[in-house]
Parts: sequence; structure tokens; C-alpha cells
Amino acid sequence: MTVRAEHSSHHFLPTSLRAAIIASSFWVLSLSLSVVSGSVAAFVGCLFACYLVDLRLHQPPWNRFRTSSILCAGLLLWLVGIFTAQLLVSSQSVADLVSPMGAFNSSEFIKWFVISASITIGLRSLAHRTSYGAVLEILFVASAFVITLAAHRNGMIHRPFFIGDFALVRGIDPSAILMAFGCIAVLSLSALLMMESNQRRLPYHFAVLGILCFSLLAYVRLFGLPTPQLTDDLGLTGQQSGNGSPQENPFRDGEDTANDKEAPVAVVVFRDDYEPINGSYYFRESAYSQFNGSMLDFTTRQDMDQDLIEFFTNGRADTEQLPLSEDQRTAVRSTIGMLVPHRSPFGLESPIAYENVPNPNNLRFKRTYNSYSLAPEYDFEFLIGRETGREDWSDEVLQEYLALPDDPRYQELAESLISNLRPEFTEDPFAKSWAIKTYLDENGIYSLKNEHAYEPDPAASFLFGDLTGYCMHFSFAAAYMYRSIGIPTRVGVGYSVPASNRSGGSSLLIQAVHGHAWPEIYFRDIGWVIVDPAPQQTLVDMTTDPQNDLQQLLGDMLRNDASFEDFLESQQSSFISLQALLNVLYVSAILILTVAYLIKFYRLWVPSQAREPNQHRVSYRAVLDRLSAIGLHRRYGESRENFAARASQTAPTIKVMTHSHLACALGSDVPGHFDRMQWNALQRAISKEIHHNTVTWKKVLALLNPFSWLLTR
Amino acid sequence: MTSDSTAEITELSSVDGSDALSATNTDLSTSLGVLQTLMNTVKKQVLGRDDVIELAIIALLADGHILLEDYPGSGKTTLAKALGDAIVSGTSTDEAIVPFRRIQFTPDLLPSDVTGVPVFDSNSNAFHFRHGPLFAHVVLADEINRTSPKVQSAMLEAMGEKQVTVDNVTYALDGLFFVIATQNPLDLVGTYPLPTPQLDRFLFKITMNHIDREAELDVLDTYKERRDFGDSLATVTRDEVLSARHEIDSGVSINPAIKTVLVDISRNLRSDDRVLQGNSTRSMVLLLPALQVSAALRGRNYVSAEDIELLLPRVLGHRIELAPGVADFEKVLADNMRDPMEQLARSTLTA
Repeated sequence: MTVRAEHSSHHFLPTSLRAAIIASSFWVLSLSLSVVSGSVAAFVGCLFACYLVDLRLHQPPWNRFRTSSILCAGLLLWLVGIFTAQLLVSSQSVADLVSPMGAFNSSEFIKWFVISASITIGLRSLAHRTSYGAVLEILFVASAFVITLAAHRNGMIHRPFFIGDFALVRGIDPSAILMAFGCIAVLSLSALLMMESNQRRLPYHFAVLGILCFSLLAYVRLFGLPTPQLTDDLGLTGQQSGNGSPQENPFRDGEDTANDKEAPVAVVVFRDDYEPINGSYYFRESAYSQFNGSMLDFTTRQDMDQDLIEFFTNGRADTEQLPLSEDQRTAVRSTIGMLVPHRSPFGLESPIAYENVPNPNNLRFKRTYNSYSLAPEYDFEFLIGRETGREDWSDEVLQEYLALPDDPRYQELAESLISNLRPEFTEDPFAKSWAIKTYLDENGIYSLKNEHAYEPDPAASFLFGDLTGYCMHFSFAAAYMYRSIGIPTRVGVGYSVPASNRSGGSSLLIQAVHGHAWPEIYFRDIGWVIVDPAPQQTLVDMTTDPQNDLQQLLGDMLRNDASFEDFLESQQSSFISLQALLNVLYVSAILILTVAYLIKFYRLWVPSQAREPNQHRVSYRAVLDRLSAIGLHRRYGESRENFAARASQTAPTIKVMTHSHLACALGSDVPGHFDRMQWNALQRAISKEIHHNTVTWKKVLALLNPFSWLLTR
Repeated sequence: MTSDSTAEITELSSVDGSDALSATNTDLSTSLGVLQTLMNTVKKQVLGRDDVIELAIIALLADGHILLEDYPGSGKTTLAKALGDAIVSGTSTDEAIVPFRRIQFTPDLLPSDVTGVPVFDSNSNAFHFRHGPLFAHVVLADEINRTSPKVQSAMLEAMGEKQVTVDNVTYALDGLFFVIATQNPLDLVGTYPLPTPQLDRFLFKITMNHIDREAELDVLDTYKERRDFGDSLATVTRDEVLSARHEIDSGVSINPAIKTVLVDISRNLRSDDRVLQGNSTRSMVLLLPALQVSAALRGRNYVSAEDIELLLPRVLGHRIELAPGVADFEKVLADNMRDPMEQLARSTLTA
């Protein structure tokens, strides 16, 4: 058996391609699990193992080992490597010798080298020895892509986003990178498949696949992705957080679906310690307080709701009216980063001032501001025996806070509910409101599928109907009943987040599902107090998985404003900017073109200067260049004579030229008896024939094509 | 040299309008004359077989032997006879050697029937060697697979060594000893298929196909005239053929690149999984003169890729044993030829 030098060189390219693909998979997998040295080691180890197995497996002594022995050897290598790596980081002497960082890096290097090498040895050996081995290999590569991309399934929302962040901090659209990743996955997997079977047509299919993938990329680059639904209109309170007009019906049927209820809306970082007493953080954005003839709406009066701050300002905005009983309240400063645009700022109940702060990351946050609140610390017993209403309210204002639809049933129901109160509480506003809240708690059913929106009075339809509705119905019904018995009430809107969501950290994530509306009562010397009905029966699952990671991440991002700027800068300065890269590409393209043209024209010109023994070569090459330019070139393995016969239809003289050339190249003719004049005459004759027998557009192409000479063989 | 052969040569060498190539060709003009005379003479008698005639003449000039494989009545014998008739003894001194002999092989043939046998001459009281039919310039071995292996091996020595040994006495055959063997591809009952070593002695195995319609009509139209040609045809002498051999051998050069190609193709074939047994080194040695003749026939004084493409399939067809299940020899050969041929073509442009 002869050694097949040709065959091994023939296999070298596929082996390298396969090795590169598997090694890239290791690199990608190790990226999120290790440091740079580990990733490099994973890549190198896999390459090493691939070449080792592919080029040596069929030669002694490898071919004498059983597959199981090879697998065991791989396992042993793994264990030894892990042990060594462990030794490096645990031993004090190594850390003394090289720095602790060096010890760690070398440990990672060794660990990942043996991991990737042993897995690769196993995979490649199985692929060589068994029928199913190749499948394992392809599955492995596919899983590397899937694991990488699975972390990004929700775009920018979830962790880890090492691809997304990489792109975002450099101002690149991460979707392009993710899509390129997908394309590379498809191409790599097809390449692996192609190498496993010897189908000759596959390179063609592969090319088509490649074109499809890259046209997808090009499409997205040109037209962008379809815009996903905004999270603004998912708030369950019906508030129009973005561009809502006050005139819109806050009650909406069926539109409040639970889709994407987890979409983040804002993140709050508490700068002061605070824990709500009633188990929920309330963030007030605005309030419905004025009865406009059909329902409660934002007030149009200047002297109502003076505690609210309606619009964002560039600097600091303070409320006109502070809540009272400051000894029962604690000052809380919090920083809020809005992920979704809102019409008005919101803050922890009760907000007294907002102050814009620099946006640490304007790719993520629409707006960032500090909120100063006087958060209540009293419990409900503190409210017993309190008067309602504010002393400096005019009668008109009080009447506005007591206005309700012209429907006697509200008062009747409210009276009947408070008639059961113990005698000592019959005149106590808080006890009355509590009785009404308790009624709604016990009898109301929380549901998003309701049919009240298009009734003249949705709250009545709810309250005197099936008692099935969502927070908007509950709060309106409660507010009307409070008002009917003389308690000044309004409906606050904003967000209500369960205190447990904070899970010990200082940041709190507000999601779409937390949008809420609640009735609040003004108690004298205290301020607006939330008395929020909480139905015990619910038809929808409005719980969410705690998003601790995201909450913490966004909180960190909001808090470390300065360091994030630094980080951005360090990333951008260390990274070759896209523009520079493009410039390099342009320059190199122009260089390549110039060099190609130079070579092209040099090869056409040099015969006029050449002398034997090179004359026959350069003259013939020039003629072949001319033919290549018009699309006539020798096929692989075709003899010069056959090519000349083929080309003689265009330029008959090529036969003579070929003959003369071969006589010089292969024959024993002394080069030189055939002088330059004769060669040039032949060349001119062929040029004329080509010129005569070629259509114009081909001639133009022939002149312009800088790479035509590459086809000459 | 006939008039149209001259015309053909001048056409070949004058296409470029310069005298550069024809100048080199003058060295080979005698050989070309011999080749063309032979070609024309045979072509007049055998119609529609120009390719086979060319191969036969190449083999003759290259000192090889050919094996024709075709159906009965397809002109094998006519071809062999025409070639034998075109060569006359000329000034040859050995009277035992005749221009043409035909041996019809049968199962009961004995080696002595082919080689010759010593007979007792009562007049001189001594044994005289009576020359067998092998002592000729051109020998037609008809239906060679019908005779016993004993006779076939006697042929083997004669073809390989150009000598016969009878009773431990070795008799040299003519310098221009050329065997045209035929065999019938069908009708294999009672035959002794030629063993591989013997097949290796044949330079070409030519599988003939039925001639085309026009040629067949021509054959029917002209069979009478062709029968009556008799002595009117041009002939060449044995010495002319031998000197042409010598001239071509010294006048046509073989570039080292050509030899490289041949060796590379052989090695590729031997390492191909589809090939059970590759070709021998001898086949390549035998091929070299044939390539030279082929080049000379085309008016070249150097061997080129064209010659390899023409001759290699004929030379290797009966020497390569394909693996079970592989049928397409042409494809196997083409696959293995592609890389070396590409190297050859490229080599002419590199210094």
C-alpha cells in the first residue's frame, strides 16, 4: 500500500474547517463560564485534539486502540487536568511564584484546555469509529449555539446578555449580531453535515443557504425588524402612561390582556430605608378627582389636587401642598428610571418633589429622576376618629370631592353597609370606609374579562351587577360610595408593587402588571390615605415570577451612573470603531483592485519586453489572459491542446500559438529560434481575432474586470 | 510518399505561416513518410477504422503488439493482413523471415506449430530447424484465446523477448516482429482467457466497435476494387520501418514533466479504492515509444498531453483490474488523470 500523499492533503481542508467549527463552539460555550485565558485554551485545545484525532487515528499506534480505551484516556486526561488546575489555585507556593492572578489564569487555561481536548477526542473518535458519532458532534455544536442564543430569547430583558451588552455599549444593533449568529449557526451546521456525506451537490446548496442567510441580514439592515408592541398600553389601570388624553375612557373591556404582563416599566432604587406597613409599595402618578358628569376624571381646577406634580421639569419640581402629620411619616429618597415613557412622573406615596438626574444609560432608560416622598408610617388605628377634608378647602372644592353620579343606589348600598357598624363607630369616617372596603373585599371578584366599559356608568354596572371587574371598577365603586356618605375621595392611579418583590435589595422593579388604581380619602391633618379594596376572589393569575436578576441589574445600572459612563468609555475606546473598520475595508478593497489592475496590465505588457527563455511563457500567458477576460479559460485537468481547439472558434490562431508554446516548453527546441517579433505577431493576430469575434459588452467587461487574469492557468 | 500525405504534413506544419516548426520537422520527415504510406495503404483496404489503423501503426512503430477484440467479420483480419502486406522485406538477408504470417489458433495447436521444429534431413544427416510462422514481420494470431495455455506461453516468450527457444536452442526473431492478436468477446465456451501477464505484453488492447453507416455502405460499394488492389498499393520496406523507429526514438523528445505525469497517474490509480490492481511499471516503459510515435504522427517533435490522452486508455484498459462493483474504467481513469494533467498544463507557464 502506498502512502497517499495526495489524499491526506485532500482531507486537510475539511479537517481544518470542522476543527474550526467545533473549536468555535467551545469558545462560545466557555465565554460565559471562564476568563479570556480559559476561552483561548478551549479553542486551542479543541483544535489540537481535532487535528490529533483526524490525522493520527488511522495510523499506528492509534489505530490499535479500542474506542472505549480512547474514551477512557480522554476521561483520564480530563481528571488529571482538573486536578492540576485545582492544585494551581489551591497551592500557596504557586501563587507566590507567579501572581495569584497568574495562577488563576493558568489554572483556567489548563482546565479548559483539557475539558475541550478530552471532549473533542471523544467526539471525534466516536465520529470516526461509529455511525452515530457524527450526530453527537453536530448536536454538540448546535447546543453551543442554542445555549448562547437562549440567554437572549427576550432580547434585552434577560441575563446574561454578553452579546447584547457587547453590541449596545458600542452602539450596534444587537439584533444584527444575534441574526448573524443564527446565520453562522446554519452555515456551520450545514458545513458539518456536508463534510459527513460526500454529496457533490452540497456545495451548491451551501452557497444558496449562505445567500439566503445574508439576504435576511441585509433585509433587516435595510428595513429593520417589526416593532414589538409597546408596553405602555398594557397597564391594567387603564392609565395612558405615554400620550393618553384625559378624555379617554379609563375603563376598557377585554383590551387588558395578561400578555407580556411582566414587561418592565421602571426601576426604583431606594436611597433611604423604608418598608410599607400594608404590604405594598404605592407609586402615585396622578389621580381622578373631578366628576365630569359621567365619571371621575383629571381635575381641571387649579385649587384641587395641589399635591400632585403633573409634568416633568428640567430641574426640581416641588409639590404645592405637603401632606400633614409629618411625625407619622418618614422622608424617603428614591431614584426612578423609566423604561417606558410616561406622561407624568410618579413617586412613592406621597411624593413631594421630583428632581431630574443625569441618565446613566440612555439606551435603557427613557428618563431618570429622584423622587422625594413622605411615606406614611402610621397604621390604620391612627386614622380612627379622624375628621375628613382639609381645613383650607373651599366649599366648592369639597363639593368636587363629594360629587358622584346621580344614582341613589350608591348611597343606599353604602348606608346599608355602615348600618351594621358598632354604635361607637357609626360616625367615624374611617370605620365607614373600612366597612365598604370589606364588603368589596369579600364580594368582589377580580377579573380582566368584564362587560362594563360601554355602560353609561361602568362602576354602577359593576357594583350593582356581577361585582366582577378589575381595580378601576373597584376603586370607582368604592370612591362613589365613600363620596355618597360624605367622605372626600379621589381615585389615585400609578403602580402598586408587593413589598416581597424587593427581596431584600434596594432596588425594585415595576412591571406592567403592577399598574393600579385605588381610592384615597383625605383625612384632616394627615393627607390623602389609600383605602384600597383587595378582592379575595380572582379569576386571573396576576402573580409574576420574581425577576430578581433583572431588578438587581437595572438597579445597579441606575445607581452606578458614573461608573457606567466610565465603562462605556473604556469599552468604546478599546474597541476599534465600526467606522475605522469600514475605512480599513475600503482602503484594502481599493488596494486590492489597484494591485489587480497593475498585475493585469503588467502581464499584457511584459511580452513586448521579454526575451527567451521567458518569451514563450509570457507571450502565451498574455494571450490566455485575453481569452480569460472574455470568459474562455482552460478547465481543470484539460490539456492545452483541447483548450486551444475549444478556443479556436473565437481565435483560430490560438492553435498555432499553443503549438509553438508547447514546442518550447515541452519540446527540446532551443528557445530563441522563434524571436520576439514572431511571438508578438501571433499575439496581435489573436487579439484581432478576439476583437472581431466578441460582442461589445463582453469586450467592455474584459477591459474592466480586474481579476480576469486569475482564471488563467 | 503519396501526394495527399505530403499535403497533410505541409498543412500541419504550415498553419502558423512560419518555418520555425517545419524546420524542426525535417528531422522526422522520413519517418513521417513511412507512417503516412503505411496509413494510406491500410486505409485504402480497411474502411471506417481510421482510429484503429492509427493505433496499430503506432504500436508497430513503437515496437509493441496489439490485441484486437471484436465480433467476427468486423475486419480484424483484413486490417492485420493489410498491414502485413504493406511491409515488404526489402533488402532483408534472412530468407526465413517473410513479411506476413497468419496463425489460426485452435485448442489442439502445439507450441512447435508456432515456433517451428527441428526436422531430420536425411541428406545431410542432421537436424534442420524449420521456421514456424512466428518468423515474420507481421504475425496475425487469430482467436488467440482459443488455444491452450502452453501455446499461449510460447507466444509470450516470442512477444516479450523477440526470440524462440526450441530444444534449448534460441532463434532470434525479426527485429520488426509485430503481433496482431484477435479475440472474440463473445463465444467464450472452450476458450482459455489470456492471463494477466500475457495481456501485459500487448501494448494496446483495442476494442473495436461496429463501423458507422456511411463506412459500412462504402465497404459494400468498394469490396471488389479493394480485392483487386493487389500490388498497386504503395509499400514500405522492413528497413524503412526500422529506421523510422530509430529516427522517432531520437527525434521526438520526452519532457521530464511527461514522465512525471505518467508516474503520478500510475500511483494515483494504485492507491484508488476502486482499483484492485494497478498497472505495471512495464506498461509505462512500453508506453513511452508509443507516445513518441503518436507525437510524430501529429508532426510534433515533443510528446504532449494530447498523446497521453489518446493512448493512456488503450494502454491501461486491459492492465487495470477494477474492484468488484466498479464498472466505469473511463471514469476511474479520468478521475486519476485530472490532477497530474493539470500539473502538466500548469508547468508550461512556470519557469
